[in-house]
Amino acid sequence: MKIIVCIKQVPGTNEVKMDPVTNTIIRENIESIINPFDTYAIEEAVRIKENMGAEVIGLSMGIPAAEEILREAISLGIDKGFLLSDRKFAGADTLATSYTLSLGVKKIKDFDLIICGKQASDGDTAQVGPSLAKTLGIAYVTDISKIIEINENNIRCMKITDDGYEEILLTLPALITVVKEINMPRLPSIKRMKIAQDSQVEILTFNDVEADENRLGLKGSPTQVRKTFIPIHNINNEMIEGSEKAEKLASILLGKIRRS
Amino acid sequence: MKQLKFAEIFGDYLRDESRQIGTAESILFSKTEEEIVKSIIDNNKKNIHITTQGARTGLAASAVPNGGHIINLSRMNKVLGARYDKENDRFFLRVQPGVLLIEVRKYLANKSFIINDWDEESKRALKYMDPGEWFYSTDPTETSASIGGMVACNASGAKSFKYGSTRDHIESIRIVLSDGDILSLKRGEVYANDGKFELKTEKNNIIKGILPNYTIPNVKKNTAGYYCKPNMDLIDLFIGSDGTLGVISEIEIELNRTQAVNWGLTMFMPDEDKALDLVRALRGEKVIEDFPTINIKPSAIELFNHNALNMLREQQKINPAFALIQEVKESYHTGIYIEIEGDSNEEVWSKVQKIGNVMMEIGGDESSTWVAKTPIYLEKLHAFRHACPECVNMKIDEIKKTDPRITKLGTDMSVPNERLKDVMHMYNDDLKDKGLKSVIFGHIGDNHLHVNIIPRNIEEYNIGKKLYEVWAEKIASMGGAVSAEHGVGKLKIPFLQKMYNEEELNEMRKLKKIFDPKQLLNRGTIFPYIEGEAGIL
Repeated sequence: MKIIVCIKQVPGTNEVKMDPVTNTIIRENIESIINPFDTYAIEEAVRIKENMGAEVIGLSMGIPAAEEILREAISLGIDKGFLLSDRKFAGADTLATSYTLSLGVKKIKDFDLIICGKQASDGDTAQVGPSLAKTLGIAYVTDISKIIEINENNIRCMKITDDGYEEILLTLPALITVVKEINMPRLPSIKRMKIAQDSQVEILTFNDVEADENRLGLKGSPTQVRKTFIPIHNINNEMIEGSEKAEKLASILLGKIRRS
Repeated sequence: MKQLKFAEIFGDYLRDESRQIGTAESILFSKTEEEIVKSIIDNNKKNIHITTQGARTGLAASAVPNGGHIINLSRMNKVLGARYDKENDRFFLRVQPGVLLIEVRKYLANKSFIINDWDEESKRALKYMDPGEWFYSTDPTETSASIGGMVACNASGAKSFKYGSTRDHIESIRIVLSDGDILSLKRGEVYANDGKFELKTEKNNIIKGILPNYTIPNVKKNTAGYYCKPNMDLIDLFIGSDGTLGVISEIEIELNRTQAVNWGLTMFMPDEDKALDLVRALRGEKVIEDFPTINIKPSAIELFNHNALNMLREQQKINPAFALIQEVKESYHTGIYIEIEGDSNEEVWSKVQKIGNVMMEIGGDESSTWVAKTPIYLEKLHAFRHACPECVNMKIDEIKKTDPRITKLGTDMSVPNERLKDVMHMYNDDLKDKGLKSVIFGHIGDNHLHVNIIPRNIEEYNIGKKLYEVWAEKIASMGGAVSAEHGVGKLKIPFLQKMYNEEELNEMRKLKKIFDPKQLLNRGTIFPYIEGEAGIL
């Protein structure tokens, strides 16, 4: 069995800085981490590998530095990493991203299952997983909280919904996105970190994949970000001190509310 | 209208984390030093004794009142100022005693001090501080502890292995004495001279006396009784004195520079003896012939024994809160947790690999390790570490339902380095001999373990209680301390009596009476209060 896990590098902070001109996230000089939801995807793939034997491959798209994130994924148990990295891929929205990822998947070939995190902590769209499945023409289910059974031909899993759970049987190859209820990701061991240190991450550029250039990067992105900003909350506290009676305090407060 | 009793309104203030419940007649939530002074003078006149409280997170019942008045310092929770000693690159914060450790950490991490009332020097000092650049190194597991409380019991924590205990980071203190006069002490200014001391108060009164003559244990962590050395800095007399000599009204704490990188590493060893060998190797001791010693000082070395890991596994199956902790495999026998600091990830990774090599040489397996190299990963290891005491508390609460007389039985004793294996064998053999259920975890780097007995009934509870006294005696004979970080308080008085003889304990009482002739402050703490004894010297 061959499992592909999609991994995104995201800023390891909540204080995201935006480029005022391009309206994209400034990723330079900010410590990156594996998108937290993707760590559950990695762990689930590694558990399948431990239970029934499988090859687990990590796939990411990003700047060359994202290689480190894939290496970290190797320390968490995956076998190999592929990084799609090329200027032509830059500025992609979710549609162009999933198209680019699909090129990576086609390059890896012969996969049985793709596992993605539910969504990324920076964009929060939850679109790339389903969009990738659609591009590849395979079945998918989102929000999986448990894999009940998996064999060479199909996977039976539980989808978490607003009202409860749905049990779903999918024929492989298929794609699932996972939620954090599915497992508890492990920490790397010294042994795995040594393996990761000695591993090569394979870089896939534009020339390595058979791409329609019009579907890549900014050119292939119908989503236009007009403006992004961090909301500023102006909360001014005013202490009203004194020994006034409750009614008097209430009328002061009421007056203030009316004025504002 | 029904008249509410004190206990009905202020019930929370009659107890602390030791889960003992006391009594009191009145309480002051002081906001200023002047209020403390006034309260002490008023109560002194009426011969009413006073219990001082910080955040009431102590485990030895120091803050549990036994009648009288309470001075609660939780509203004195401001950081008053900062000071930077540029020449020696040292940073200090001046704080009120009620400020919580977690608040100090937050202020330092975000540089978010409230500076409206700060003087110009303090505001200037802040220019030399970036968010997270400095930290306060003392780290008791309970982060809602108050700094004043930590000074009173000379608290320590995991990182004390590298950074020492509270005592090592206190630069100055102000103490309101039992007559309302004030002592202001700065480190390096007033020393005892061959056991004699002389202190000048703010009202220019001279307090003279002789220090107890006993030898305090030669262990890194000790808070059992007054800290006394013939030529000691006298500020140290008040640190760890459990509030029995005065009420701390202001503290200047020293900060440390934050290391750029801090990794956590948990190693699971196949048996306890190998785990102890690993601890010794991590301390730089020669454990394996023909193998180089490790010259890497971790900031913390902690142990989780086999029963502790079993208890965690058991709880993981039934309690969703603990499901958030990584699976502890059945093959893991004993866990050793360390933290390693450095200037870069590369440097720390190289240290981790060296430690890994030694661990394998001792009989460990590099696959049976958890490495946390980012703050997010480190949080997971901290959650694991905190889970042990939490599990114990839950178990005790469960048993308490069947018999309310049962309380937590947890030790806090430390021994010198060379007695590490002896003390571990002592605990294991005695627990096995008595057939008691227990878990052991704690600060093994300083030979300081918390043995927690989990009694199944009141008979086992009583057997356990007696065993603790036996251990106190054995620990004392090994040259150890019967309280390493929690203080003596009210609960460990019997243990202190095993460590020091009657004469030595009397010397301690005499010392207290020099500062507190009527024995008004924290009565019944460190030594039992004997009726009618007040005022007799």
